[in-house]
Amino acid sequence: MTTTDLNSIRPTPILLDCDPGHDDAIALVMAHRSKAIDLLGVTVTCGNAEPEKTVSNTLRILEFIGAEDVPVAAGCVRPLARPLVLGTADGPSGLEGSPYLPQATKKVEPMHAVDFIAKTLREQEEPLRIVATGPLCNLGLFVLKYPELLSKIKDITWMGGVFWRKSEYITPTEFNAFCDPEALKIVLDSGVPITMVGLDVTMKVLVEEAQYREFEKIDTELGRVVLDWLKFYEKLHRNSMGVGGALHDPLALALIIDPTLVKTRPAHIGVDLTGTYTFGATVADYWNERGLPPNAQVCEEVDSDRFFDLLYSLLRD
Amino acid sequence: MERIILDVDSAGDDILAVLFAAISPSMKLEGVTTCTGAAGPIDQVTNVVLNTLALAGKGDVPVAKGAWRPIVGNSKEDMQAPVHFEKRLVARFGDRLKKFNPPAPTPTLKVIDKHAVDFIIDTALANPGEITLVVTGPMTNAAMAFLQEPALARALKRMVLLGGNFITPGNITPLSEYNIWADPEAARVVLNQGVDTILVPLDVCEDNRAAASMLTRDDLADLKDAGDHPVLQMIQDSFPIYIDIWREFFDLVGFPMDDIITVALAFDPTLCTMTEPLFCDIVLDGRVARGQTVAYRGRQLLPGGGPKTTRICTDIDGRRFMKLFKETIVRYQTAKA
Repeated sequence: MTTTDLNSIRPTPILLDCDPGHDDAIALVMAHRSKAIDLLGVTVTCGNAEPEKTVSNTLRILEFIGAEDVPVAAGCVRPLARPLVLGTADGPSGLEGSPYLPQATKKVEPMHAVDFIAKTLREQEEPLRIVATGPLCNLGLFVLKYPELLSKIKDITWMGGVFWRKSEYITPTEFNAFCDPEALKIVLDSGVPITMVGLDVTMKVLVEEAQYREFEKIDTELGRVVLDWLKFYEKLHRNSMGVGGALHDPLALALIIDPTLVKTRPAHIGVDLTGTYTFGATVADYWNERGLPPNAQVCEEVDSDRFFDLLYSLLRD
Repeated sequence: MERIILDVDSAGDDILAVLFAAISPSMKLEGVTTCTGAAGPIDQVTNVVLNTLALAGKGDVPVAKGAWRPIVGNSKEDMQAPVHFEKRLVARFGDRLKKFNPPAPTPTLKVIDKHAVDFIIDTALANPGEITLVVTGPMTNAAMAFLQEPALARALKRMVLLGGNFITPGNITPLSEYNIWADPEAARVVLNQGVDTILVPLDVCEDNRAAASMLTRDDLADLKDAGDHPVLQMIQDSFPIYIDIWREFFDLVGFPMDDIITVALAFDPTLCTMTEPLFCDIVLDGRVARGQTVAYRGRQLLPGGGPKTTRICTDIDGRRFMKLFKETIVRYQTAKA
């Protein structure tokens, strides 16, 4: 594969559905700063924090990085069929460690996220790519409400899910899948192509000492904010898993810029809705025992160093 | 004058419910919203409503197309069972079954350019405390509306929902009633909103204890004398097979009027005896019990539950209901253009 000259290609228009969240915040920064991406809008869901906080965080981040012209639409305030269980990695505000980010003056669009997605898709001639870095409440509700627009979604790159690997991490579920498994099922069954960026790869893009040294070299206001985010964000990982902060959402976003960062494998994937310990677990039918066509490209391997090089360059330039 | 939105899945009694709501002097039908359910895919459901309103001369009633699938649902084969169940009776009834849920011809009326969910939200928010939402099919649209707009719960006056069963066995599984079973996750969202709700279970409609409320050939004979409006002709033409199917298959004395009872309760709650307001929950994860409706009655050691805002109908004045239905439906004759 030859190196792509990122300046020579037309930026890829995308919608980003997220629940900031520190790693969502970094994904937002990357989407705004990459010349390869045209961020048409951001839709927000509950997940890492209560919906009013994830919305507020989105507006604060976008205003802080000078992306106040990017429209933001607030979405679901709860999962489709379950009570909201909050993520724990990002602290009470969903963005602990950056108290000096000012409250935003920017306002949300006067419509629900699902209606904003529909409006944006209708305005586009070509099918649009969507990156989703939170529970899929908004996209699930969108599929229920707008089946006629599914053909206008080119694909969904979703951070979520995991396939359990012995001795690496003892969890059958990843938070975004666990938080709204019914919405995930709706999206998986929708026929829209999905790239599943699960813990299998995102737990390999870890911010450890070598990475911290590089981040510390980025001597800008943005660089310092990102560093503060990372220092808070790593606590959960360090305490429970003994590793640095995993940049789950930024990796999903990065695949729009450079899909060669990962190796993928097609499979039909499903999600468990009823298990005692395993509801929200993603299941891949690699042997095609159910005879169903693949509904997803599952990320299996990642080039962590190249991912971080991309991230550093986006923060620097 | 009750202002209602009627959300239907266009099975046989839904058709009568639309006709009843559109001509009743006691209510204003703000609009009809459609949901995938017993009559099949959303376009069939919607076309049946449009054709029914055209027949009734009520083309001014807005119709908004709604959910094309449940939140989770059940297996495809199981979901299609209600649409095709009469095939099990083909040896008994032969060609007469063609009048059961026939494919709807292309309607002359059109749907409004608004999703059912938005129609429900916008109408209720623009008229706070005024609108009663009547749901006679699966509760997918209502659930989506609550999920999209949390303020809807405070804006609605009331909900009247057809669903569940407590004494009478279920009609889709031994424990479950069809509307709840078809989208149990949606029903659970709806029953947890804290909205003043009347729940109409099978106990007061699909049970011979409620025989007096069922449509029989005697009632068709009464209506035959009332006139020849196209609505009345359609009822004479289409409903004998419905009466026969429900006698043959469900062992009921006539065609149960579930959806029309549900609509009538929106303006006359005295037609049914009801429980005190209580919490009603839905079994989601049981296999054989999926879709079962659970009323929090009695006293239990474990705490739990949710908003105590649902009154469950336990008995019906069937004769008064059937009289009301016939008196209302014959208004088509006098209202005739």
